[in-house]
Amino acid sequence: MKLTINEVARSLDLPLSTVERWIRQGRIPIKRSGHTYTADRAVLKKWAKSHNLVFSTAELEPKEAEPAQGSETLLYAMQRGGVLHGIRGKTPAEVLASSVDAAEVLPPALKGALLDRLLEREHLTSTGIGKGVAIPHPRTPFAEEINRSVVVTCFLEEPIDYMAVDSRPVFVLFLLLSPTPREHLQILSRLSFCVRDDAFVAFLKDRPDTDDFFARIAAFEQALDQKGLV
Amino acid sequence: MRYPGRWSIFRLDDRMLLILVGIVVGTCSGLAAVALSRSLIALLDWTHPYRHYWWAFFLPAGGAMASSLFMNKIVKEGAGHGVPEVIYSVSRYGGLLRFRSSFSRLISSCLTIGSGGSAGPEAPVVMSGAAIGSNIASFLSLNERQRITLVGCGAAGAISAIFNAPIAGLVFTVEVVLGEWTALNIIPIAIASVAGTEISHVLQGDNIVFDHRQFDIGFPDTLASFGLAVLCALTAILLTRALRGMHHRSARVPLPIWVRAALGGGMVGALGIFLPVVLGEGYHSIQQMIDGVYAPGFLLVAVGMLAKVAATSFTLGWGGSGGIFAPALVIGSLAGLTFHRGLAFVWPSVAWVNEGCFALLGMAGLISGMLQAPLTAIFLIIEITGDYGVILPLIIVSTITSSVCQYIEPASFYLKELVDKGQLLRPGTDGRVLADLSIQELLEKDCISVTPGMLLRDFIEIVKRSRRNYFPVEDAVNGHFLGMIHLDDIRPYLFNPGMYDAVVLEQILDREAAVVHLDEDLSDVLQLMDEKRLFSLPVISNKRFVGMISKATLLDRYRQELRVQTTR
Repeated sequence: MKLTINEVARSLDLPLSTVERWIRQGRIPIKRSGHTYTADRAVLKKWAKSHNLVFSTAELEPKEAEPAQGSETLLYAMQRGGVLHGIRGKTPAEVLASSVDAAEVLPPALKGALLDRLLEREHLTSTGIGKGVAIPHPRTPFAEEINRSVVVTCFLEEPIDYMAVDSRPVFVLFLLLSPTPREHLQILSRLSFCVRDDAFVAFLKDRPDTDDFFARIAAFEQALDQKGLV
Repeated sequence: MRYPGRWSIFRLDDRMLLILVGIVVGTCSGLAAVALSRSLIALLDWTHPYRHYWWAFFLPAGGAMASSLFMNKIVKEGAGHGVPEVIYSVSRYGGLLRFRSSFSRLISSCLTIGSGGSAGPEAPVVMSGAAIGSNIASFLSLNERQRITLVGCGAAGAISAIFNAPIAGLVFTVEVVLGEWTALNIIPIAIASVAGTEISHVLQGDNIVFDHRQFDIGFPDTLASFGLAVLCALTAILLTRALRGMHHRSARVPLPIWVRAALGGGMVGALGIFLPVVLGEGYHSIQQMIDGVYAPGFLLVAVGMLAKVAATSFTLGWGGSGGIFAPALVIGSLAGLTFHRGLAFVWPSVAWVNEGCFALLGMAGLISGMLQAPLTAIFLIIEITGDYGVILPLIIVSTITSSVCQYIEPASFYLKELVDKGQLLRPGTDGRVLADLSIQELLEKDCISVTPGMLLRDFIEIVKRSRRNYFPVEDAVNGHFLGMIHLDDIRPYLFNPGMYDAVVLEQILDREAAVVHLDEDLSDVLQLMDEKRLFSLPVISNKRFVGMISKATLLDRYRQELRVQTTR
């Protein structure tokens, strides 16, 4: 297979000027006659191997369309997770158990393990971040079990003492599951940005309609995207 | 048909191509050697009748002047011996030589030597052969590595043809000119040596240059060769220093260059009236000395040796054209003769070998001392005398002279100037790798530029997006580089929102930051990094920031470059 020297440079992860110099100096098996270059992939691969250089033509394949910026955002994760109302329970353990139980998005086989890990995390420190909001999540991401982030929004029937940082009773849980730490941080950062807004918290207290709720989240995300924040 | 390099015959196999072209180049430089040697003989014959007149010393003056005028006014090439120019071109420009170099030095050295100047025809022929090789390579649009090999073929063919010594040609090229022993080089060069030698066989006949009778070397002679080595080393150093000193002295004389050449030539001519041995390339005197029939006594030989040193430095140092090979051979044989006569005087009872043998050893000593190339000296002397019997003292003299000279003068005569200018870049060395890599190839362009009027609040947004710790500050209007901001500079204020609107970048930017320019040498950049203990530096071109250069990337690319250059 023939390559252009631009492709050779990208395969070797080197600037074009280096490859051109190597050709001029005769260090790389690319033949030049006049203004045309002949570069054979198999020959170059062998040459790179004998010189202990990395040569990967994978760089040349058109990359799979990466998920568009923002598709892995809070709104999508929330829509995937759904909104639950009237979660019963008197203690954090009880509300977590009924939330996990009620969440339809979670595979049933995962639920037991997930609850254990959520409780383990709560045991460490409460995930009640104040203003009546808690964001329960496992300590390590579920890399194997899920492939997209999920946020399950659970409105409690009665506010309970969640041992939150500001000691105020918690009335809503955002159950957050991510496949990677990176996504976890990204969503957590966005979520905490929303919760920082007092008007939003007051809005949540009214147990809003699901569509209104998502519309509000979408507005926040738009503001964040405009500022170029994660 | 536009590009000869595209003809399919040349694309069969690179090695085959180099061998084929090597034969052509070797033949051409063999022809150049024969041409110079024939015209020298003709010129000597032609001037012979005038040598007895009182004004004969004007002959070398006129020759040197004509040669200098030719070099400077007609072909416009700098003076110089030839070999250093070839080495310089190999190490800096991938062996690129001008076409006119393939004949210019032949003509000018012919004028200098033919009129009696004390210089050698070897270096001009080497230059000429190398230029032929280089131009053939360019014609076929070969790459630099192949061109360097063909330059080597030209040099090897030249030495082989002049001395009828193929091995010496090969060894000289590899040891002195290229400095690299690889199979890729040696095979075409060896073939070119054969071609050059063959041409001189066809045109000049197969004769050993300095034929002589058998020497009967005893143990005392081998022992004495240690002493000869020391004498040779001292003489070589004297010749090196005299040549360089004369060169510097003449450069300070406020006269046109061709007048200076004429002055130098006149001095040589004047010396030649009293000591004719100093004139010309001196092969005839060498033959006499090796035959043991050189008449003058101890004192006259010693004075002759010094006079030849002086004459050579007058010729070459003041602007004549030619090499030091032949003068070194003459001085060497005079040194050998001096030493032998001294020995015979001190220990008359020892049965010393014939003085011709010491003349021969002296030649090897001078060559290996001047070139600091013992192998070249050993093979050259064996081949031009056709006598393997002298090998033991020959090895002793060559190696010891070369190491003593290296001790006193770390760089040989040919390389001294290049080493001083940092231009001797042998393959696979640190200097070579750094010279090949350019800053352009190492630039990291993922820095985000900011303007001096920006608020800290806005800057922090940029810090969030950036992957680097360095931020170049550019003038908002004309884009000129003003200075650098390092993340460390703002770290204390990063979490103090009170500062966000109070600080403008102008206040924290470092205007004194060290910078490098795009065209600087990498070795200087590294030097700067080491001195200031920096790991990365901003690169400026035309007052604008173009990127960063960092040690981390440099190490990465340095290793790749070294692997590519040294692995075959």
